[in-house]
Parts: sequence; C-alpha cells; structure tokens
Amino acid sequence: MNPLNCSFWFPVSSSFIIERVNSRCVPLLNIVPSTLLMLMESGSPVSKKSRLFHSEDCEMEEVPSNAAGVNPSLHWTQWQILDSILPTGGFAHSYGLEAAMQSRMVNNQEDLKSFVIQVLDNTGSLLLPFVYCASKSPDAAAWVKLDQLLEATLTNEVARKASTSQGSALLRVAASVFTEIQALQDLRRTFLGSKSVSFHHAPIFGLICGLVGFDSETAERAYMFVTMRDVFSAATRLNLIGPLAASVLQHQVAPDAERMMQKWRDRDVSAASQTAPLLDALQGCHAYMFSKLFCS
Amino acid sequence: MAEAATGAVRVEKVRGRSALTRCFARYPLKLIAPSKVGPYSCDAVWLYALTYGGGIVSGDTISCTVSVGDGCTAAFTTQASTKVYKAVGSKCSEQLLEARVGEDALLAVIPDPVTCFSTARYHQKQVFQVSANSNLVVVDWFTSGRYESGEKWDFSFYKSVNHIFLGDQPLFIDSTLLEQGSNYSIAERMQEYNVIVMVVLLGPKLRHIQDKMQDEMKKLMSGQLRPPTSGGSLYTMRSKPPQRPQRPPLIASCSPFGRTGTGMVARVAAVSMELAYSFLRHHLAALEPFLGASPYAAS
Repeated sequence: MNPLNCSFWFPVSSSFIIERVNSRCVPLLNIVPSTLLMLMESGSPVSKKSRLFHSEDCEMEEVPSNAAGVNPSLHWTQWQILDSILPTGGFAHSYGLEAAMQSRMVNNQEDLKSFVIQVLDNTGSLLLPFVYCASKSPDAAAWVKLDQLLEATLTNEVARKASTSQGSALLRVAASVFTEIQALQDLRRTFLGSKSVSFHHAPIFGLICGLVGFDSETAERAYMFVTMRDVFSAATRLNLIGPLAASVLQHQVAPDAERMMQKWRDRDVSAASQTAPLLDALQGCHAYMFSKLFCS
Repeated sequence: MAEAATGAVRVEKVRGRSALTRCFARYPLKLIAPSKVGPYSCDAVWLYALTYGGGIVSGDTISCTVSVGDGCTAAFTTQASTKVYKAVGSKCSEQLLEARVGEDALLAVIPDPVTCFSTARYHQKQVFQVSANSNLVVVDWFTSGRYESGEKWDFSFYKSVNHIFLGDQPLFIDSTLLEQGSNYSIAERMQEYNVIVMVVLLGPKLRHIQDKMQDEMKKLMSGQLRPPTSGGSLYTMRSKPPQRPQRPPLIASCSPFGRTGTGMVARVAAVSMELAYSFLRHHLAALEPFLGASPYAAS
C-alpha cells in the first residue's frame, strides 16, 4: 500500500477520527465496534482499515466529489468499480439480447436501440430500488433482507442466475481489490457458503458503492451505466453493431438513460416492478437455445 | 381489508368433502358456486366471480378474501374476460385478492384475461399465504384491449402484483407495470404480441404438471430459436434490403422458483387470445383429476 495514502486520508488527529466514527458511523456497520477497538489499541490514526470511515464520511456529505474537503484519491477507487477491466464477469451476459436476436426480435441497430432502452427502463424500475436501499444503508443485516427479497423477485431463472453469478463475482473481486474496506472482508467471510443468501448483483453493487463513498444518486446512475455498457458490449460481440457505432449509440442513449434513472431513482424495494414482460418471457428462453455465446 | 371486502369465501372439510362454508359478496361483485362443474366423485368447489356489467368501472374496487382449508380443493374462475372500462380522470379500477391455502390443499385461480379498454387504469394485487405442502395454480393474464377493433395497448396504466408467502418468507414476488408515457409506447414495446400470460404452479401435487410443461416448452421454443444466419449482421444489411423476419407467434419460457424448487412460473407472450387459450387448455388439462373439469375447456 502506498504510504502516501495515509497522510492523504487522515490529515487529522486520531481522537478526531474516533469522534467522527462514534457520531456518524455507528448505525452503519456491524464491524464498527471491532475495528474501532483495533484503532484504539494500535493508537495509530493511519490504520489501513480505518479508511472505511473516511469513505462513509464522504457518502454522508451531499456535496459534489470535486468540492474541497473530499478526498480526490477516492476517485481512483470509484472509477475502478465502473471500469470494464474489473473482472466481475459482466461480459458473459447479454441481458436477453442473444435470445432476442435468435427469435428475430432484434435484427438491426434500430431494434437494438429500442431494446437497450427497454432493458434500462426495466433495470430502473426493478433493480434500482435494490441499489438505492443497499447504498443508503450499507450494513449486513439490511443487505441480507434485500438479497432474499431479490431472490424472490427475480422469478426468471436466467436473470436470477446471471444476477447471483455477477454479484458473487463482484463481491469476491471487491474484497480482494479494496482490502482497506474491512466491511467487505467481513461480509465475505460471514456469508461465504451460506445457504440463506444468494449474492445478487444489485444489492452488492449498491453496498459497495455505499462503502466507497458514492452518494446514492451516483450509485444508481453507475448501475444504469454498467448495465448499458454490458448490453452494448454484448451487441458488439454478437456482430449486431460495430464497436464505433456502438459507442455512438451509447452516447445517444445516455440522455434517455439519465431520464430513466431520474424517473426510477430513490424508490423503495416495495415499488420494484418489471416493465418489459415480453423481454422477460424472451430472456427465459435463453436456456433453450441450441447454440449460444452468452450465459444470459 | 376484512371490513371493506366485497367478497369473502371459505372452503372447509365438511363430512370429508370440500364444502363452501362461507360465501359473501356485495356490489359490484357476485359469486356463483355451481355444484355440477365436475362429477360428484371429484372433491372440488368451483366458484365463479362475476361483476355487474361484465367489468370494472373506473374508481371501483373489488376485494375478495379466500380461505381454502387443509386438504380442500377450490377453483376460482370467471365466465368471460374481465373488462376494465375507460378511466374517469385519474381514477383506477382495482381488484384485490387475499388467499390462504391450507396444508395439502389446492387452490386454482384460473380466470379469463383482463382486457383494458383505451385510457383504462387498472391495478390488481393478489397475495397468497401458503404452507410448505400447499398447492397453488395462478393464471394471471391480460390482453392488449379490444385489439380486433384496433384498440391495441391503448390503456393508460396496468399494474399486476402477485405475492406468495410461506410463513413470513417471500417465496414469489412478482410485479408487472405497464404505463404510457415512457420512451416507447406500450404498443411499441409489445410488437405484434397481444396477450401476456403468467402461470404459477406450486406444490407437490403439481410436480408432474410442472415437469411436463417444462419439457414441452423447451421442445417448442428450441425449434424456434436460431442464430441469425446473416440477417442480423451489420454487413449484409447494406447489400440486401432488410426483410422483416418471421417471429414466433408464441413465446414461452419457464423457471423454477423457491429455494427448494417447489414452484414453477411460466411466462408467455402470444399474438392472439386463441393461441393463449389453446396453450393454457393444453398445459392445464392435467388439472382435471383434481378439479373435476379441465380449465378453459369451454372457452
């Protein structure tokens, strides 16, 4: 770890940190007490693990991230989460596009645009509530509830498996990469092999976003972004569109995606609904295809 | 809901047979319980829900509670499609169903589809409370409207919610929402399809029906799906004028649900109501031994 980080992250005294921890972070994480204890025992303000607290401070503050007082090195973590190089397996999924092509529902770029917008609309109404709730209160107990509810909500087996495989991969990668976030290590250790949770993607994504200091609106926009990115990536590899044209279309669709994000953001999970029954029936057919490139 | 309920039904064992021990309905709901739907040898209660005027007007709420006691069998159906008439202002038409299914009991909710007229606003919520070995059939379906006369996906709002709880654990949480005013109209999203069907089969008695349905759907659909030979490719598009390829008239897929896989849900999109009826008739015919009559047989 870069020792520079420490001076960057905590230009304040250890007592100040502990005060902040006590006043602001206690309801958030069940690991706080033990970490706090370690912090006090070591007597050092620069424990790697304590960086977590800083992240949450950022999350609490509703100021743009480039404003003074917010640590710019947090951007490196935040951008990495959205980077397509992060090996979370998103590119093994076409979000139903392959089934839509094989049933001649999507045949050209026009169809692709309408498909992407429908997928985003559906993602917004069905999954953004889970991202929102998880990023708003990134603690283990709330996360378990969200995960179990999403398990019952994703009634389409293809989508359900895609969600759990991406979610567990994301948690594994995040826990290995962002080693300073103790909550991720704890979550992984506690629930690894557990039968009661399935590690669905949207709540894990929201949780991690909350832990690295995204505010919930940014977390929701980020979720729409990675969904759109993965569909376009799949479209390129299915030879439906060229890479340059895909980028052009991605930029064209962005205002629509933003509008849908604004429409569906900050809703409770009780309002989660699917809005594309035709695509849902189609995506379920993915398992029936004789030859396929993608997992879902 | 108990006080405001427009209908309340209880089916219990009386001298060893499923019997209707409570059947209450008030305007705008009417319940009919004919005794001769199936042969006497079959132990099942059939209930027909009727509405005055054949549908639900804007602002009306129909709420019904159904309780099926341990070991009993009940079928809940309609005589014809439920029409949802044009909305007055922003008022919704609502249907609520709360059902409890006992141990080893079977409840089949097998209505005709909901047909929303243009500008209609409809909200439906069905909550089922089941035990570990309850059996449940739910068919929830809707059409594009009076599509034969050109009224296609013209309603304003449609929301259908189906929840199945095992104790306090959510087993199946489904919510479908269609609303005008998104980027693409409902008609654009639905392409040429006019009917959307969901079939839920849950419980040990229905295991064989689930398995058969899954096999048949796989066979049906795998023949229809194939990679685009060249039609979808970017490069051939330029040389050949694009020709709209033929899509399957019926798209169907099923998925197991529940941690132990005791449930199965099938989702179907069909271009016509006849196609959807024949699909349901075919796949639910195996319910006849339980219900004494085959669902949708007379339609």
